[in-house]
Amino acid sequence: MTSRQRVLAALNREPVDRTPVCNPTSVATVELMDLVDAHFPDANRDAEKMARLAATSYTELGFDTIMPVFSIIQESSAVGCKIQWEEKDNWPTVRMTEPIWSEPDDIRIPADFVKHPDAKCVLDAIRILKKEFGDEVAVIGKTMGPWSMGYHCFGVERFLLMSLDDPDMTRTCLDRMKQSTIEYGIAQIEAGADALTLPDHATGDLVSGEYYERYLRDMHIEFAETLKVPIILHICGRTVDRMEFIAQTGMAAFHYDSKNNPAESMEVVAGRISLVGNINNPETLFSKGPEDVAAEVRANLDAGVQLVGPECAIPLQTSIENLKAIPRAVREWHRAA
Amino acid sequence: MASGSLIPTGSLRMAKLEDISNDFLREEVETFVTREDERENLIARYTAATPKMQAIAAGVVSARHHDVDAMTADALTTGTSALDVMDHGLIAGMALVGIKFRDMKIFVPEVLACARAMKAGMKHIEPILVASGIAPTGKVIMGTVKGDLHDIGKNLCIMMLRGAAFQVIDLGVDTSPDDFIEAVEEHGANIVGMSALLTTTMPNMAKTIEAFIDADLRDDVQFMVGGAPVTQIFADEMGADGYGDNAVECVDLAKKLSDENG
Ligand code: B12
Ligand SMILES: [Zn+2]
Repeated sequence: MTSRQRVLAALNREPVDRTPVCNPTSVATVELMDLVDAHFPDANRDAEKMARLAATSYTELGFDTIMPVFSIIQESSAVGCKIQWEEKDNWPTVRMTEPIWSEPDDIRIPADFVKHPDAKCVLDAIRILKKEFGDEVAVIGKTMGPWSMGYHCFGVERFLLMSLDDPDMTRTCLDRMKQSTIEYGIAQIEAGADALTLPDHATGDLVSGEYYERYLRDMHIEFAETLKVPIILHICGRTVDRMEFIAQTGMAAFHYDSKNNPAESMEVVAGRISLVGNINNPETLFSKGPEDVAAEVRANLDAGVQLVGPECAIPLQTSIENLKAIPRAVREWHRAA
Repeated sequence: MASGSLIPTGSLRMAKLEDISNDFLREEVETFVTREDERENLIARYTAATPKMQAIAAGVVSARHHDVDAMTADALTTGTSALDVMDHGLIAGMALVGIKFRDMKIFVPEVLACARAMKAGMKHIEPILVASGIAPTGKVIMGTVKGDLHDIGKNLCIMMLRGAAFQVIDLGVDTSPDDFIEAVEEHGANIVGMSALLTTTMPNMAKTIEAFIDADLRDDVQFMVGGAPVTQIFADEMGADGYGDNAVECVDLAKKLSDENG
């Protein structure tokens, strides 16, 4: 199987020759930036550099996917949020303390927002990668869900208070913001994305599992129906209490965090959605060695997790050595099995 | 928490759960507070409070900000002192909120709503305390370090600190070492709290401490640090004075550090 076939099969829970290795969020590191001379912040805004840095996931690390979107703010920039682009050694972010919207009527997704340079850059990078690696590797796009857009555009605290005070207004806001999720998703599919990551941070670190059901499950079902490629939902943090609802969405996969136990998580989703994950970032990939990384890989494989990889965007100072330990551990596990 | 002083002198036995006269508070403690020391502490606090103060605490816990606003105003005009309303009403309520959040019984939106209720009461209290020259428990500078924009955890810590009568100067996110130094000099605070959620920004905590050393200010302040990736080990390595795993610990730590300051 090629990497691409392997990933697409695993997303559909079909048989694979070995478990694919995948990071549907970001594999960018400072070492990789140096290696291919494509650094932050440029690699977040220049399609050619973005593609070059993203490709290292396959060429240097031996992962089965390529993900060109390292941040979670490309479309937020396109709809008008103020962005702090940062330096080589840090991710860009939205200045959430300067929100751009405060009520449903403020919400405006510009008609041609996918043509905004920071949105278009991703589309161009996908085209470049598709041309160069399209037959061998799965190229994954990323479109932000409305809950995460709410944090960026309304400010986290305002948005969370609104969700408690006024559920109807919150639903109206989510319903209007979802336009960007769908349009940006479609644009990336047209550019050639094989699958899409959809981060929507309704995490147990912030809100209850009941919240996910109340506000997001049905909308996520709609995304799975409308966006005609496999969708990988990403929510980092504690989520096992809402995996039952997540499993009902019809999405292909859920990218889950190390705060959730692999075996327990597999039991909850019970074959209705593939899991991707869940190697710990700060404590393991960043701070420990290849053996510790391999142990977490094995815990996922033993549990039957369909795609193995880091839990979220990897820390930028993670060593290449630790990242290469992931595909190696997967191969060793299959050999021993 | 200085619970001892809140137990009425002359009480012959330790207060029991049944002694809390406010039904809502009693049920909340019974349902949500499982740690023995915390249970005893809260029972002592609530039984020492008058029914009116218990009602204010209950208003904070159930996030009814309009009610807390009105009840606080009423209590102040009918003879309860500002300090009593703050201690036995607002702070007593927030103490339970912090425990419920730490134990995942409630989540961030609910804590934000409780903090809003507390603030509705504090707006009546603060001017009185300022006018009468009553010093806050301590002065704390809080900020998320340079390059990091995660601020939810830091903000919850600030709410809990304010809910424990600390005066907090919030420097927001992306705070440079110089910003911390300036704030300390301007406000004369002796506790600095730093938050970081990214491994890429954690080193900026150490850099801030170094900047204080270079500016000859290290001995004037105590550093407390926190945020998901930060551990006691990291805290020790960077030379911080304390580490807190959650907002309840943050308050305990700030109290400990301000006691040490004397
Ligand atoms: C919500 C969230 C976000 C929100 C942030 C919104 C905001 N305004 O804060 C959004 C979606 C915007 C976001 C963005 C990003 N995030 Co984020 N995010 C999270 C998440 C899911 C929860 C964090 C949180 O708020 N928790 C709830 C609060 C209440 O907990 P807390 O912050 O830990 O605070 C408590 C304690 O730590 C303590 N505490 C906190 N501060 C202090 C201070 C003191 C003095 C004391 C005593 C105690 C204390 O008390 C608090 C209350 O109990 C975590 C997941 C996780 N596993 O932690 C990832 C996580 C932190 N994010 C991560 C990443 C990678 C990112 C991005 C880089 C993603 C990207 N590709 O762009 C960007 C960051 C950009 C930047 N430059 O900052 C990674 C960081 C990895 C690492 N360690 O390097 C995490 C760990 C996810 C993961 N599993 O890998 N994120
Ligand atoms: Zn994440």
